[in-house]
This record gives sequence, C-alpha cells and structure tokens, in this order.
Amino acid sequence: MKPRNPARLMQRGPELIAPAGLRLIAGSLLAAVLLSLLPWPRAGLWLVPEFPLMVLLYWNTHEPRRTPLRLAFGLGLLADVGHGVLFGIHALAYLAASFLALMVQRRLANFGPYGQALQLAPIFLGMKLLIVLLGLAMTQGVADWRQLAGGLVAALLWLPMCLLLNRLAGRPDEPPSPGS
Amino acid sequence: MSRAPHSPLFAREMGLPARFTLYTLLCLALMAVDARYNALAFLRLGIATVLHPIQNGLTRPFLYLDDALEFFTVHGAMLRENRELKEAQIAAKTDTQTLSSLRMENAELRALLGLERPSGYTSRAAEIIRVLPDPFNRQVLLDRGTRHGIEAGLPVADAQGLVGQVTRVFPLGSEVTLLTSRGQAAPVQALRTGLRLIVSGLGQDRMLEVRFLDMHADLQAGDVLVTSGLDGIYPPGIPVARVLNVQPPKDTPFARAVCEPISQVGAHRHVMVLRRDREQP
Repeated sequence: MKPRNPARLMQRGPELIAPAGLRLIAGSLLAAVLLSLLPWPRAGLWLVPEFPLMVLLYWNTHEPRRTPLRLAFGLGLLADVGHGVLFGIHALAYLAASFLALMVQRRLANFGPYGQALQLAPIFLGMKLLIVLLGLAMTQGVADWRQLAGGLVAALLWLPMCLLLNRLAGRPDEPPSPGS
Repeated sequence: MSRAPHSPLFAREMGLPARFTLYTLLCLALMAVDARYNALAFLRLGIATVLHPIQNGLTRPFLYLDDALEFFTVHGAMLRENRELKEAQIAAKTDTQTLSSLRMENAELRALLGLERPSGYTSRAAEIIRVLPDPFNRQVLLDRGTRHGIEAGLPVADAQGLVGQVTRVFPLGSEVTLLTSRGQAAPVQALRTGLRLIVSGLGQDRMLEVRFLDMHADLQAGDVLVTSGLDGIYPPGIPVARVLNVQPPKDTPFARAVCEPISQVGAHRHVMVLRRDREQP
C-alpha cells in the first residue's frame, strides 16, 4: 500500500517533486540518532537539541505519508534508552511534537525554511518543556530549566538541516508557488 | 473539502488524533510500569545491548583525540606537577611510617578485641564512556558490565574518593548514579570526631549536604567525612566529602552542613568499581 501514485499523477506543472526515497529517510534518521549518541561535553549538554526529532519533523512536513506516528514512538523509545531515563518520556514528547507537526503539515509545507523554523520553534520548546515536566512528575527531582534552550537551538539548526536535506532530496528550498 | 494528507487512505485505518491518543496512553502506561515495577528491564537491556557498542565506537575517536591532546600538554605543567608530586611523596613517606606502626598497633588491638577484620574488597577499573544527559539524575556510563562481573548496587570510587553506585547493568556497560545526584546518600563518619552522619546529594556538581545535623554536633569547616561502612554497601574508610561550612538552624531545629565531594568525576576518565571478596563470610 504505497500511496504514491494517484495523488501525485493528478498534479501538473513544474512543482512536481519526486518523493524522497525510503533509503534517504531512513539514512537521515539513522545519522540523527548517531549524532545524538555522540559524547557531548558535560557542560554543554543542555544545549544539545533532539536531532532525531528535528529530522523526523522535516520528513513529517515533506513526506507525511512515509513517517507515521509509530516512527516517532520508536525513535522516542530509543532516545529514552540513550538518555537513561524512564521509558515513555521521550516517546511521549516525540509523539506530541510529531502529531502537532502532522496536524499543521499543509500549512508548514507552504513556508520556506525560515518560516518553518519560526513556526516549529514553539513545538520544539513545548517538547522540551514536556520532557522536563514529565521528568519532574516521575522522578521528583529538581528541574534544570536551561534544558529549554535546547528547543531554541533546534529551531536555529532547522535552517541548515533543511538546506542540507533539501539538497539530498533534490527539492527546491522555496515551496511551490500557491495558486497553481 | 479536500482530504488532509495525513488522513487515512482507507476507512479502516484510524484517524491521526485517535492514533495519537492510543500511543499517548501507551506511553503513560510504559512510564508507570517502568517507574513502579521495573518490568521493562528486558526491553531496555535489549536496546542497550545494541546501542552500547555503537556508543563505544562513537566515543573512541574522541578519546583518542583527548589522548593526542594530552600528549602535547605543556612542559611546564608537567614539571610543576612533578615537583608537587615529589613534595607529596615526601609527605606521604612520613605518613607511611606512622601508618605502618599504627597498622601493627591496630592489628594487635583488633586481635585483643576479637573483632573480625573488615572484609576485603577487590576493585575493577572501568572507563567512563559517556555522561548521560538526564537532567534529573547525575549518571555516567561505564564500559564494564555483567560480562566483567559488575552488579547493580556496587560502590564506585576514583583515586580520591567515593563517586557513587552502580544502578543499572548491561552486558557490556553499566550506569553509575553519582553521589551528587539528588536522593543519593551515603553513611559517613567525620574523621576528626568519629561522628556518624548521612551525607546526601543536592543535584549539583560540586556540592553535598548533611541534613538534619544536631544543633550542637561537633562539625567544623574542613572536616573530612569518610564512609562508615555501616550500611554494608560502601566499604568503610573511603573519603567522601570535605565540610565547607556549617549553617546554624534557622527555621528548623536542625543545622545543616554543606560539603564538597572529594572525588573528581569531572577530571578523570577512570573509576574503580569495588566488589566485596566472595570468600569472606
């Protein structure tokens, strides 16, 4: 059940973009997971964004059919083990972010990387906030509110990541002009 | 109305909000199960077994880079360190002499009292390969696991003092919760007075505290706290913390002492996992 044909064939004109291959999607997600597993210096840990989530949201925006919610769930579980926290904390945060991005996917796809970064910033921030709050609720620790900065870093890094993945996917940086 | 791209292609598929709700419930259930019953250890074990070799491989280049940088350490720093070490050695020599006499005396006294010798501990060196980025717990990942005889609950120390305790073990790695993380505690004894206390973590890097200290307790800034060994987990006599200041009681009937941990987790890459010898009763 690959939903590539009917909808695509109906479109005409220069903005017809070939769908990204599964290998590119899987490869970029794998690279993001590896990036998140790097030994980041302890002092700057709070600045490190959730790389897998950034790549996931990129594909949510551009290939919503190929990135179902269960992908967010799986990546979140992986992040939970990588971070050494309770199962489900990152999974829930990833799910929520992916869900919101899919809900506004139509809107996001009509913006360039800058506009997307602006609109995704609240999602990244809210997701970090959710992680901190869930951690507070489940472990009764003290919250490190600096963690929220990681969400802003994710929004800042959205731009270079978009440009890179656009090149790899053979996709123009600006969205197709509306009204065609 | 045009179909949203994420709405299901066929009516049998659930809509996005429904799927999101289901997954959310699953996540909440996972969290509750993991927090309360520790029932998901096998799942974590499976994922970690795959992740750890990858993490190890990713860390290696950085470790080699560190080593290479260390190689080019400034000559002067080495000289200074050498001089300091020499001085320390002289001081240590005199200490050793008194120590050997004290040890003999101690052995005699023990024999006299008919007490058991404190059981021996063997140590196993391990390398810190990663600092886990969980803001609520201070944890590090070691490169030794059940394959190397590490068990959950074993104490971990470095060359200076107590570091923490192994909290999760995997075949090829283990997670150590540092003493500085909130909720960790160790029974200690003040070296100067023999006063028994409990020192606990605050969730900050270079700070520990003694809560509920007796108002009249004889504890001063500069006192060294060592493990008392009364809990049966930490072997006695490992330096833990140095008292920075003692705060008199304000609103509570208890005083509070702020201490600084003696171990240097940030500075070293190697730690020792201590393990009680099996042949001891």
